[in-house]
Amino acid sequence: MRNDLWRLLTGLGIAFGIPWLFLVVGPYFRLTEEAPVMYGAEESSGFMGFPDPNMNRFGESDYGAELYGREGCAYCHTQVIRPTYAGPDMWRVGWGGREGEARETRPGDYAGEGYAYLGYQRIGPDLSNVGTRIADRLKKDESGLTDRQWHHLHLYAPRQIERYSAMPAFQHLYKKVPAAGRESAEALPLKKEFAPEEGYVIVPTPEAEALVDYLLSRRKATPLPAAMRPMVSAGTETATEG
Amino acid sequence: MSLDLNQATSEDIRERAAIDRSVRWPVLFFFTSAAAWLAVATLLGAVSGLKLSLPRLWESCPAMNYGRLFPMHMIALVYGWAMQAGLGVMIWLMARLTRNELKNSVTIIVAGHIWNFGVSIAMLAVWFGFGRSMPWLDFPAWIAPILFVGYLMTTLWLVPMFKARRAGEVYISEMFLLGAAVWFPWIFATSVLLVGDDGSAVMSAGTNGWYMANLIFLWFVPIGLASAYYLIPKIAGRPVYSYPLAKIGFWSLIILAPWTGFNRFIGGPFPAWIPAISGAATILLLVSVLATAINFWKTVKGDSKAKLWENSPTLRFTMFGALMFVMYGVLGALSSYFSFSKVLQFSHFVIGLDTLAVYGVFSMMIFGAIYYIVPRVTGCEWPSGKMIRTHFWFSTYGIGTVVLTMLLGGFAQAGQMNQWDSSFILSVEVGNRWVVGRIIAWLLITFSNLGFFYQLALMFFGRGRRTAGATLMPESAH
Repeated sequence: MRNDLWRLLTGLGIAFGIPWLFLVVGPYFRLTEEAPVMYGAEESSGFMGFPDPNMNRFGESDYGAELYGREGCAYCHTQVIRPTYAGPDMWRVGWGGREGEARETRPGDYAGEGYAYLGYQRIGPDLSNVGTRIADRLKKDESGLTDRQWHHLHLYAPRQIERYSAMPAFQHLYKKVPAAGRESAEALPLKKEFAPEEGYVIVPTPEAEALVDYLLSRRKATPLPAAMRPMVSAGTETATEG
Repeated sequence: MSLDLNQATSEDIRERAAIDRSVRWPVLFFFTSAAAWLAVATLLGAVSGLKLSLPRLWESCPAMNYGRLFPMHMIALVYGWAMQAGLGVMIWLMARLTRNELKNSVTIIVAGHIWNFGVSIAMLAVWFGFGRSMPWLDFPAWIAPILFVGYLMTTLWLVPMFKARRAGEVYISEMFLLGAAVWFPWIFATSVLLVGDDGSAVMSAGTNGWYMANLIFLWFVPIGLASAYYLIPKIAGRPVYSYPLAKIGFWSLIILAPWTGFNRFIGGPFPAWIPAISGAATILLLVSVLATAINFWKTVKGDSKAKLWENSPTLRFTMFGALMFVMYGVLGALSSYFSFSKVLQFSHFVIGLDTLAVYGVFSMMIFGAIYYIVPRVTGCEWPSGKMIRTHFWFSTYGIGTVVLTMLLGGFAQAGQMNQWDSSFILSVEVGNRWVVGRIIAWLLITFSNLGFFYQLALMFFGRGRRTAGATLMPESAH
């Protein structure tokens, strides 16, 4: 009976081992070790090469991604912009990046993140480029909010920003302080409906600042080095030789 | 085929009784604790849906946010209920098929406690803010070894059992069981090591998707099918319709299934061939699904006119699970096809599909197995056929509601979402109306399981009916 066992186990092992090696483990290490593509001398993306782990950093904190994970944000928000053959993501204003720069997300856009929160469902909008999308939107309206303020307001009282929002409020990331105190300089400009009682204001905790840093770092439309872009036509591109 | 169908000698009967007695406590331990987790999971399903529909509920309590309740619901459903019930079925079935008495029941009960401990702290970790937003792998990485040890201590005994089996052809159910037993540690270890580690971030997320698909196709499905291939011929009283067809179903499943999973992210930031090959494999899996379904159907139908599935709870649940398996195969293939993935990807449809796999396919087949196994290991019959009928119908209504509302809701939501020049919030409103269906469905399922829990508890304490005949489902009153 030993023969049967080993024959069967070998069959099972091969059937599973091949895809395991070629679909999962191989690509995992290949993509991990992929060398960045350098930018040409005339390109001004602010980085030496693509990808660069600093592309996904913003502000001083570095634990925003953990907060994003622990609050389960990725169950309702994706961070993936599909090319036009696979979905209409790039046509939505600001989703694929700034006008004229919009593009689909590439593996390099998630460099240094450990885990790419590609997401599960889109109950809320995609966040790949929320860092630039909100800033651009605020430039056009008359609210006078900074993008950091906007994100804090949206996290503390989503329905002040969007009446029919289905997003939970993350009130535990904020604290209530006396309006006269030293901390009140950071107070959120809440409408009466969402504001605490008279004499108090709401200010962000360091955790809220870290989460907003993370959201502001979502800019996955960094221009690609010329070497990674298709040639549109001679003359319109300042492509580096080779 | 040498399933000794109706010609059991008295020696056979004594042998089977001895085997059933030897696995009694481990199997009952897994079934009852799985049932307790099922209650938690179904309630969390309803509560998380409620929170999504009414976002202003419990606003100041972080532990009651959708982002924590939903992953907890999935952990309880997958690891607490489904895997644990599956382990119970595995042990009993392997002992029966290989005709071995279980000699390590104490070790297995200890292993079961380790597993339950792992699931409990995984749940608490997510609840108190140590989750990671990684579907089905939300718990902190250090909890994984606990589950791993619990699993290995339980399934390691299947290998010597298989080795010590009697001469003759290897049964298809044995192949499915052995496969499932060895694949899970492989899939789980790979995913735990690669997901959330410092390597490639996108492959880490992709491996997460691969893990979910593989847990479904290489653990849940094989165990469900192993049980179906054993129970359907037993109850129908005739051998499996075609053994070659069963083997085609088996090998096509295990050759294709490990390639699936990345199609969760068609158009995602991967080398383009990776999601494409996953999608193609999911479509090709229809071969396996159809071969299996035809085989079951032909076996049950046979040449007689008797409608066995009307009376036998085991057959009813198992065949319903097989039907849902076909549905899952077809919907999975559809969603791997570009024209549909364009629309349905990231919509409510996703959650409908995952729920269909765990509850519609696997759980229904496992209920069938439990209704067969428990009377044999306890030596008494289920107290009430009526309660079994209620269990079946309300579970069916429940899973039907989930699938239907999430499918239609997915189309409605995605249709609105893909109007790229209209406001996004419209898609939220249109989609979230259908979430009410999810709440109702989980309430129906919770209700359906009340009778199941009650009867299982009675059986656990040996308080079932003491008669010779099996409990059937009286359908006339329905």
